[in-house]
Amino acid sequence: MGLHEKILDSQVYRRWNRKRATGPLAQFYDIAPVASDRHISDIEFVALDLETTGLNPKNNEIISVGWVLIRNRGVDFSSAQHFLVRPTKDVTESSAVIHGILDSHVADAPDIETVLRQLLPVLAGRVLLAHHAPIELGFLGRACKKLYGASLQLPTVDTLVLALRDIHRQGIPFKSGALKLQNLRKLHNLPPYRAHNALTDAMATAELFLAQINKRDPKGELELDRVLR
Amino acid sequence: MSLELKDIRDFLAAHHPFDLLPDDDLDQIPARLTARYFRKGSVILQPDITCLHLHIVRTGAVETQSPDGQLLARLSEGECFGVRAMFRGGKAANRITAIEDTLVYQLPESDFHDLAGKHPQFAYFFELMGGARLRGGMQMAEERDEDQLKLMSLQVSDLIARDVVSLPKTATVREAGQHMSKERVSCLLLTDDGGEIAGIITDRDLRNRVVALGLDYTTPVANIMTRNPISITPDAYAFDALLTMTRHNIRHLPVVAAGADTPVGVITTTNLLMRQSLSAVYMAGEISKMDTAEDMAGVIAQIPELLRQLIDAGATSQNAGHIVTTLADTVTSRLLELGEKKFGPPPVPYVWLAGGSQGRQEQTAISDQDNCLMLDDSYDAGRHGDYFRDLADFVCDGLNTAGYVYCPGEMMAKTDKWRQTAATWHQYFTNWIQSPEPKALMLCSVWFDLRPIYGKASLYEQLHRQIVTMASGNRIFLAFMVGNAQSHQVPLGFFRNFVMIRGGEHDRTLDMKHSGVVPIVDIARIHALGNGIAAVNTSNRLQAAIHTSSISAQGARDLMDAYEFISITRLKHQVAQIRAGERPDNFLRPESLSAFERSHLKDAFNVIKTLQTALESSFGKSGT
Repeated sequence: MGLHEKILDSQVYRRWNRKRATGPLAQFYDIAPVASDRHISDIEFVALDLETTGLNPKNNEIISVGWVLIRNRGVDFSSAQHFLVRPTKDVTESSAVIHGILDSHVADAPDIETVLRQLLPVLAGRVLLAHHAPIELGFLGRACKKLYGASLQLPTVDTLVLALRDIHRQGIPFKSGALKLQNLRKLHNLPPYRAHNALTDAMATAELFLAQINKRDPKGELELDRVLR
Repeated sequence: MSLELKDIRDFLAAHHPFDLLPDDDLDQIPARLTARYFRKGSVILQPDITCLHLHIVRTGAVETQSPDGQLLARLSEGECFGVRAMFRGGKAANRITAIEDTLVYQLPESDFHDLAGKHPQFAYFFELMGGARLRGGMQMAEERDEDQLKLMSLQVSDLIARDVVSLPKTATVREAGQHMSKERVSCLLLTDDGGEIAGIITDRDLRNRVVALGLDYTTPVANIMTRNPISITPDAYAFDALLTMTRHNIRHLPVVAAGADTPVGVITTTNLLMRQSLSAVYMAGEISKMDTAEDMAGVIAQIPELLRQLIDAGATSQNAGHIVTTLADTVTSRLLELGEKKFGPPPVPYVWLAGGSQGRQEQTAISDQDNCLMLDDSYDAGRHGDYFRDLADFVCDGLNTAGYVYCPGEMMAKTDKWRQTAATWHQYFTNWIQSPEPKALMLCSVWFDLRPIYGKASLYEQLHRQIVTMASGNRIFLAFMVGNAQSHQVPLGFFRNFVMIRGGEHDRTLDMKHSGVVPIVDIARIHALGNGIAAVNTSNRLQAAIHTSSISAQGARDLMDAYEFISITRLKHQVAQIRAGERPDNFLRPESLSAFERSHLKDAFNVIKTLQTALESSFGKSGT
């Protein structure tokens, strides 16, 4: 973990954010974060994925959000949620090619604030799980800052980081694309999802995480800080 | 359903029994599921784990083992487990382990019961998982046949209409008559001091032996009764009772408790006639009166038609096999009678033995002959050789003429090697068991299914006891038998697709005999030999094996069900060919079955595959 992430995940930064947060984000910070010495099997995770109009939170926008909860080491599909988000600017052709979401799809969709009002209570007291989490944290943090005056900070597990650690541990060179969600899933004998959207990617990430921790922690005694990014 | 769970919905829709659910209900399921991941080698369920979910394998594979470590099943993508645990209040009965990295979907018990309550076809699939499901499938298939052929499934005990009517044999003729009149019966059983059956009198006896002769009514009934009457046990089939009565020309057949000789009732021809058509019995009766094999051929030619009637009427394969085999036995016995008439009485005692499917009482529409002759040790080749060669030639040739064609492997009494004294046979079996050779063993497996048909049965019975004892103690022999048994592959791929014959005359078919019936017969034979079980009929062998440690009780029952299902499917296939005017064979096209039957057939093959593998852990493996 670099210095930048250390600061972002620090208690100091959390207190700083909590002081400034308003609205639903203030309520989010009122609930204590998950202690890092708890066992993974006792914790609830929110596996989350975003589709965006580009990779830079400063210039691009969220256009869909999908999440699903992991409880008792199982992906609970009843908690699955998927929202299209109406962006403030038009969807560019280059991004539409990637996620297949067109202006016409999102014309009637809720704006990001409506979605955050749903999402923030779900995240409170849970751990965020994403594949390459900087994207999710970056975009959600940016939106929170804009709407509620402070960034979003919560314990986060990144399946890509876990995979990378695995590879380093084994000391083997890896091919380009090896860290892609779909390829990592194949490695663990997980089925492909044919559809590609924020929710299926969130579910795919959740299942991958189960596979990763199962390999490392068959008895369910692994503590959270061993897998935090 | 949110549209995004469509992948999961589509997965379910592609697998039985979820494919039976209407779209609306199917749409609701994905959001009720939880996905769990199990690494290869990890335990998913075991007796101390509480499970209140239906488990569906999404990817990977799992293995079910009984608490004693017996492999029961392997499940792969789309198959379900944990059902029995739900029905047992969440207590798993078996241990289920991931044998690959496995993703499992769990459906909560409450949702499962909701679906099962709404959709009987869905509930049906689960209520009877595994072997029990197969059993259910057979019942359902049988219920479709309107006319049940009761005679074949009824046991004698089912036919006893009332409590036994009896008097001590010390009673007078008058007392007997009064008692019969009061009880409104046409026959009366007489017992001795210990309550055991001593004799029987009938209306006709009173007329012929008392009134017509002008006997005093104070005559003890013991003086006129038929002593030690022919009887039958309650567990015999009604069909056997009918056969016994027609063979001995009697109308009343006492039923006595097995081993005790105390009477429990009487069955009469009216009991039976009311219930059944008698074609098989008539055929047997005809054969017993015939003097030439050519005439018998005319009757034997009707077997396909008989089989059709039996199957149409809902006979089980066990019943059908029993009846069809009875005709072969009758032909054999009659030919031997004729032979003895032609060549004179036998110079030394002998017993004629049937092997293979006739030995096991499992013949179908197509059967060749497997038989041998066992001679008393006083046999002298120089003096008696010609007699028995002539007799064997006469019977084997007669059987061939009648329709039981020569055995291609020459496993017949006609062959010198298979017409020997008991001592020589003892030597044969000793060699096979104590210095087994895979090839030789495969050929002689028919001799481990022998049944005396005619002559001095005790000659064989003594040897049979020795064979069974010798075989059960010889691990090397059993291991060779296991190797042979496993050489018959079940036509099932790992993902439960049928593996069919490719090319040739039987392209894209399943060989129901060699890849279905034979493997089960082989498995049953090994469990019988390995445990000193004397039975030769496959179902009887498996029934007896239930109580042994070499196979789990559930495994044995599942195999019995699989055997019945495969056999009946094979017989139905033959009947369809008979109806179409074709020659019956064993080659089935899976597409001729309904999806329902195909699914059960796969279940059945799966049971075989599992228990074939399990043989190794019980008996080891060697040879091929």
